[in-house]
Amino acid sequence: MKMDPRITAYAVGELHGRERDLFETELSASSALQDEVNSMTKLADMLSASPKSAERFHPEEKDRLLAQCIGNLKSRTRAKTTTICSVFDLELSEQIVKAWLALAAGIVAFAGLAVIMHQSGPFKWTNFPPLRSTSQEPPATIASGDTMQQVAQEMRINTLSAPLVTTRSAVTTSSERVSFTEGWVEGSSRCMSSAQSTPSSVSLNSESYAPIRETDFVTAKENPLSTFSIDVDTASYSNVRRHLEEERTPPADAIRTEELINYFRYDYPQPSGENAFSVNLEMNRAPWNPEHKLVRIGIKGRELPAEDRGPANLVFLIDVSGSMSSPDKLPLLQRSLSALVENLSDADRVAIVTYAGSSGLVLESTQGKAKREILDAIANLRSGGSTNGSGGIQLAYETARQNFLKGGNNRVILCTDGDFNVGVTDQGGLQKLIETERESGVFLSVLGFGTGNLKDSTMETLANKGNGNYAYIDSISEGRKVLVEQMGSTLFTIAKDVKIQVEFNPARVAGYRLIGYENRLLAKEDFNNDKIDAGEIGAGHTVTALYEIIPAGQTVQGSSSVDPLKYQQPEPKAVTASNEILTVKVRYKAPAGEKSSLIEIPLAASEIPSADKASEDFRFAAAVAAFGMKLRGSPHVGEIQWAEIQDIARGALGKDAGSYRAEFLTLIEKAKTLQKEAKQN
Amino acid sequence: MNPEQIITEALDNYESLLISYAWEITGDMESAKDAVQETFLRLSRQNLSDLQPRLRPWLYVVCRNCALDSVRKVVKFSADSVEDHDRASEDPSPDERAMATEEGRRIWDMVAGLPLQQREIVKLKFEAGLSYKEMAEILKTSVSTIGVQLHEAMETLRSRWNRETTQVA
Repeated sequence: MKMDPRITAYAVGELHGRERDLFETELSASSALQDEVNSMTKLADMLSASPKSAERFHPEEKDRLLAQCIGNLKSRTRAKTTTICSVFDLELSEQIVKAWLALAAGIVAFAGLAVIMHQSGPFKWTNFPPLRSTSQEPPATIASGDTMQQVAQEMRINTLSAPLVTTRSAVTTSSERVSFTEGWVEGSSRCMSSAQSTPSSVSLNSESYAPIRETDFVTAKENPLSTFSIDVDTASYSNVRRHLEEERTPPADAIRTEELINYFRYDYPQPSGENAFSVNLEMNRAPWNPEHKLVRIGIKGRELPAEDRGPANLVFLIDVSGSMSSPDKLPLLQRSLSALVENLSDADRVAIVTYAGSSGLVLESTQGKAKREILDAIANLRSGGSTNGSGGIQLAYETARQNFLKGGNNRVILCTDGDFNVGVTDQGGLQKLIETERESGVFLSVLGFGTGNLKDSTMETLANKGNGNYAYIDSISEGRKVLVEQMGSTLFTIAKDVKIQVEFNPARVAGYRLIGYENRLLAKEDFNNDKIDAGEIGAGHTVTALYEIIPAGQTVQGSSSVDPLKYQQPEPKAVTASNEILTVKVRYKAPAGEKSSLIEIPLAASEIPSADKASEDFRFAAAVAAFGMKLRGSPHVGEIQWAEIQDIARGALGKDAGSYRAEFLTLIEKAKTLQKEAKQN
Repeated sequence: MNPEQIITEALDNYESLLISYAWEITGDMESAKDAVQETFLRLSRQNLSDLQPRLRPWLYVVCRNCALDSVRKVVKFSADSVEDHDRASEDPSPDERAMATEEGRRIWDMVAGLPLQQREIVKLKFEAGLSYKEMAEILKTSVSTIGVQLHEAMETLRSRWNRETTQVA
């Protein structure tokens, strides 16, 4: 392997800015390089974690030295000032000039690289061998009270999804690839023994997902109202990406189309006036069915400049059980957190609670200006033990409450790979606790890590109960995206209990279906009921929902119809003559408020642009929706081909800061290849 | 902070770190402590309020010079050269008592086998937590040289560690 000092520099956090971005691009292209970085990081962590030398002066010796120094200070006069100081200055400035020249030369060299590496897409950390997936998980790790049901669900999923690792040789390969890593990681014997485990235990993948039943078309005459809660989660996208990159088709229930769509940023305008957010409607042709239309509802939360954000009081509740030791878990979490800490303002506070064999306060609530202290605490996190810290979550909430910042963002952030026996063992009890704490103004967010044991459904539920969001972090770039780029929106709520209700005009719309949001549907009465909990929206966040619409005059296929009533004549409904297609109503509360406000926006037929005038954002969202539906084998997506979806997305990349949309193109490619292979077999 | 407070605090914060660093250079605890004493005496003759923002690199530069001075004196009486001053690994390391974990002790034992300049850089990076830029200032070299040397040191450590771990296994 050629000499590349950037590996070490990256591992110790000495690559900055553009240089770092370029290196990460290069990383994405080479798994050998990823392994290098990985092992170097482990080494660096071990060196900095080792207890420091405690050699000190003898106390008498020290007192004498101090007395002498203070004596010198007192006798020192201006005339006696030595020149050491100014000589030192000269030396320093010369060195600094040299250092900068060297750096500048480096940057020029890297700029050349950038052109070459540009095609390979952003760096992802997903090709780590799935260590966890090969180890046998005792059913005891399932946090839910209803063990039988979960096990049954998992088994069903296992038959749906391709087994993670099917042959013994595959297992051996993966442990060979991490041979270096094993030496460092506590519980490395687990990796070794997994190589000897029988193939039957290999398929015991304990990831679990709640089933999703896609909504069918309903008629606008019988069901003029459609009501749902917004969802700002994006975890499903990174999870789908992880599956595809491991060349597996994700289980259908892991594909939440609305989360795929919401993973991307859309360029909706800032709200005007006092409104917390803007609502932007657009309608055009549905790419998978020329007879149908798509209506996009795009919501954008008001952006808060960093100085207008209230201070943050964050308590990280971190799972440090043995299973967290693999490189895509705790080490990735540490890097993501460090990146967050660099961006804290002085008034922010951070505390860290860990749970494993026991739970404890690793870092007391510390002000953002003491960055060094926080970073040290993060660097010193080590995994080991089983997940059973009693009182972990209570301790986290207690810490958050004790340091409560009025008008600030008070939040517990649970970081785990799925084992959250955080002291409250049954899930019902846990939910109740989270709901109670929510009332005290402390919210909960959940960050998921790693593979093979992910309790996707539970994590999402917990975050929803806690007025928070759930993100899945599979790479350092994802960690940066969630914790740094979106810190405003991930962590700073500007409106809560945001609900959407759409009224369709039967004179214009025969039938409709909401794409995604299956587990966010609300009864129409819930819309005006302020007691019903719903989704939160963060500063600058965008939320997008798509309706597929069958224009009036067509028949609505597949809508579940009821027989005509025997004893009543349906009252003839008076349809108001209107050129409006639908009206969108949004209800929301201020973060600390109890009463909701209402925004109402109609979509007039005259506002519909011609088919070739659809905005880039509209086309891209439509492509993502098509991708999600096709990937989960939805009957609604028709005959649209992967290549067509890819073309639509490619033509709608827009500005694409962060190259997230460009990366999406490669996912379509992977899905295409996978399905082709599946057909051939 | 008044000058007295600056010195007292600096002594508390850097005492152990500087002794450990100087000891890396001198290889003997007595002269390492002498070098650190001398460093603080020199510090007390500075204009402290001016110096304070750059206190850390200043301390390391001066401490390094003092330590090197004492080694140069020793060299006159022994065959050891400055650059090739390597502690025999069977010598009980002063850090040993403090090393709580077996793993930590083993890796730092390996650090002791590196050439002096690399040893210094590893110590400055992982014990003192200095940045490449600060290290370049102290060692009077460029940031890129620091990067190359630390990387070389890390490569050596990694391959030695791998070899040893596989042997143990």
